[in-house]
Amino acid sequence: MSSLPAPVRVSPLIKFGRWSLLSVGILYGAFHQNRLSKKEAAIREVELKQKAIRDEKLAAEKKAAAEKEIAELEKLAK
Amino acid sequence: MSKLIAQAPVLASRLVAEARPRFQVFMKYAKVELTPPSVSDIPEIRSGIGRLINGAKTGRWREVTVREAWLNTLVTVEVLCWFYVGECIGKRHIVGYDV
Repeated sequence: MSSLPAPVRVSPLIKFGRWSLLSVGILYGAFHQNRLSKKEAAIREVELKQKAIRDEKLAAEKKAAAEKEIAELEKLAK
Repeated sequence: MSKLIAQAPVLASRLVAEARPRFQVFMKYAKVELTPPSVSDIPEIRSGIGRLINGAKTGRWREVTVREAWLNTLVTVEVLCWFYVGECIGKRHIVGYDV
């Protein structure tokens, strides 16, 4: 343990740069996350509305296809 | 399994006793190397920035040895990487944004 080197005296400019970039990074990360999550919430809402319309369309198409199949099977069975 | 749980406090106290001297060594280095710059360092910081700008202006950066230039590059890259560490802390997710 006594063979460890003495602590290095880091230049204050480097320390200042490190800590300032760290704090700027934290602020930027929080700010950007906020901005992106708001955008994503808006997109999600739009998609939710579209989903309702899309589901209706899909259900209608499925019903039409099922009825066509039944009609064809009846024709074959006649 | 129950023996492990019974021994957990013993293990925890042993871990703490083992970690304490190592933590003290860490603190010994951290107090000198990792502390944020204080108000009294401001003149040094300004003179450092002045020296950098003067060096860039006078073209002294061309006369520096390759070893020195490599070390300066490494230090610069390390200082710039702290921005990304801060960004990860700010967005509270390691890779990418969690929207």
